[in-house]
Amino acid sequence: MSRPDPAIAVTALVKEFRTARRRLRALDGVDLEVGRGEVFGLLGANGAGKTTLVKILLGLARPTSGAVRVRGCDPRRAAARARVGYLPEGHRFPGYLRADAALRLFGRLAGLPEGALDRRIPELLELVGLADRGHDRVGRYSKGMTQRLGLACALLDEPEVLFLDEPTDGVDPVGRRHIRDILLATRGEGTTIFINSHLLSEVERTCDRVAILHHGRVVRQGSVDDLTHPTQRFSVRLGGGEFPPDARLRELGAAVASRNGSYELDVPDLETLNRVVDLLRAERLLIAEVSPVRAALEDVFVAAVEAEEREPAPGPAAHAVGGAP
Amino acid sequence: MKTWALVVDTWREAFARYTLLGFAAVSTLFLLILTFALNLDIVNGTLAAGSLFGRAFEMRHRTPEIETVVTSALSIFAGMLYVLGVFLSVFATGSQVPNLQHRGTVDLYLSRPIARVHLLLGRFVGAVTLVGANLLFLCGGVFLVLSLKTRVWNPRFLVAAALILVVFLSYLGFMYLIGVLTSSTPLSIMLPYALYVLSLPLAAHDRIAAAMDSRLGAGAIHALYWILPKTPEIGRDLTGFVLGKLAPSALPIVTTGAFGAVCLAAALVLFSRKNF
Repeated sequence: MSRPDPAIAVTALVKEFRTARRRLRALDGVDLEVGRGEVFGLLGANGAGKTTLVKILLGLARPTSGAVRVRGCDPRRAAARARVGYLPEGHRFPGYLRADAALRLFGRLAGLPEGALDRRIPELLELVGLADRGHDRVGRYSKGMTQRLGLACALLDEPEVLFLDEPTDGVDPVGRRHIRDILLATRGEGTTIFINSHLLSEVERTCDRVAILHHGRVVRQGSVDDLTHPTQRFSVRLGGGEFPPDARLRELGAAVASRNGSYELDVPDLETLNRVVDLLRAERLLIAEVSPVRAALEDVFVAAVEAEEREPAPGPAAHAVGGAP
Repeated sequence: MKTWALVVDTWREAFARYTLLGFAAVSTLFLLILTFALNLDIVNGTLAAGSLFGRAFEMRHRTPEIETVVTSALSIFAGMLYVLGVFLSVFATGSQVPNLQHRGTVDLYLSRPIARVHLLLGRFVGAVTLVGANLLFLCGGVFLVLSLKTRVWNPRFLVAAALILVVFLSYLGFMYLIGVLTSSTPLSIMLPYALYVLSLPLAAHDRIAAAMDSRLGAGAIHALYWILPKTPEIGRDLTGFVLGKLAPSALPIVTTGAFGAVCLAAALVLFSRKNF
C-alpha cells in the first residue's frame, strides 16, 4: 500500500539572497516532510532561516533551487493556498479596519461566501476571546489581541494546513495557554500545523515532531519523545529527612544534587539506582517519588547547535556565501 | 467577490486616511464658491452684470452673449480641473501600493488564495472607482452649478472628467510601478508630479531639439516626448474642445494611455516575481 502524500514536502531547498556586495544563503539544502494531521515545530535561533522557509512554503518568496509542495501542490499557485492558514510573525492588519471587517476582507479574499463569513466571523472572535472587541479598530489593539486576531484570520477557511510563525509572541501566559488549547483543538480536527518558534517550551508542549534549523540547515529532526530521551538522571523526592552524605553515595557510584526541595540523582545504570533506593530505605527515609529526568528540548537544541558550531556538516557554504567580485 | 473586496478595502483605506474626505472637501469648497460667490444677471440671453465674492465684473459697456460667457468659463474651469484633478488624484492614491507592501501586511494578503496580479489589479480598480467618483462629483458639480445658473448646457464639459481620468490612469500606472519598486509613499507621489512638470516643456520638443547641438540630445528629447505622457497637449485639446473646436486628437491620448499601460504591466510583472 502506498504511503499517503505528506502535507508538506521540502526537498533540497536552497534560498540565497543577493545584494550588490554579497550573497547570503538563508537556506542550504533543507529536506523536510510533515505528515497530514501532524503538529510540527521548526526551531532555530534568530536568523536561522525559519521565516524564510515558511515564506517559501506559502509562495511569498521564491526558492533559489529545490522543491516545495504543500498538499502536493506548488504553493506559488494561488489555488494551492486555498484552505491554508498563515499567522505571520509581526503581522500588521490595516489599522483602519475593525476586527470583524478585517476578518471579512481576508475571508472574501479566501473566496469564502458571505453566508459562511456571517457564521464564521463571530465564531472565531468568540474562540480567540475577542467577541466583545470585534467592532474596535485593529489599530487600537494590544499586541496580544492582534496576535489572537491573527490566529482567527489564519483559521478563517478551516485550514487543512496551518502555518504559525511565532504564534505566542507578545502574548501573556494566560493567552499563551489559550492559544495552545485552540491549536490542540485544531489538531483534533485533523489540521496539519507547522509552528515556527524559538519558544522551546511551547513547542515541546504542542508538537509531535520538531526539526532544528541552524544556519539554513536542518541539524536534527525527530519526534519530541525521541529527542527528549530519558537521561541517566532521576529526580527523587523524599517524604522527610535528608539524603545521606555524598561520600556514601559516591561509594555506590552515584552523585546527588539538591534542586528546589527534591534531589537529582546521577547514576550509571538502574542497578546503581536500586542500590541507592536500598540505602535510603535502610536509613528509614520515606521515598515519595522517583522519576526519570528527560532532557528538555532546550538542552537538545543547545547541544545540537553547539555540536554544529564545533563541527559544521560538510557541504557547500557557510551561512553567508562569497562576496561580490 | 475578491475584486469587490479589494475595491471596498481601497475605499475604506481612503476614508480612514482622510484622503477621500480631503478630496471631497476640496471639491465641495470649489462647488460652494461657484454656487454662492458667483452671481450672474442674465437679460435677454446676454450677461448684463455679474459679481464674484460681491465684487462686480468689469463689463466695459459690453453685454456678451451668455452662451459665449458660459462656454469660455467652462473651458477655463476644464483647464483648472485638469490640473487640480490630476494633482489631487495622485495625492489621494499615492500611498496605495507602499501600504500594501508593508512588512507584516503584505503577508496577510499574499497568503490568501488570490493571484498577485489579481490583488494589484483589484487595488487599481479600487483607485479608479475612487478617483472616478470624485471627478464625477467635481466636474459634474461644476457642470450642474453653471448650467443651472445660466440655463446654458454644454455637455462637452463632461468630456473633461473622462480625459482627466485617462491622464490619471496613466499616472496611476506609473505610481504603481514606483510603489512596487520602492515601497515609498513620498516617491510614489513626488515622481508623478516630477513627470507632470517634465512633460510641460516637452510639448515644445521640436523647438528644444532644433536648438540643441547634439543629434543624440535632440533624439533623446524626441524619444522622451513620445514615451512620456502628453499632459499639456491633452489639456490644450480639452479646453479647445469645450470651447467648441474639434475633438481632442487621438495620438496624445493613445500614447499617454500606452505609457500608463506599460508601467502598469511592468508593475504587475515585478510584483508577481517579488520576494516578500
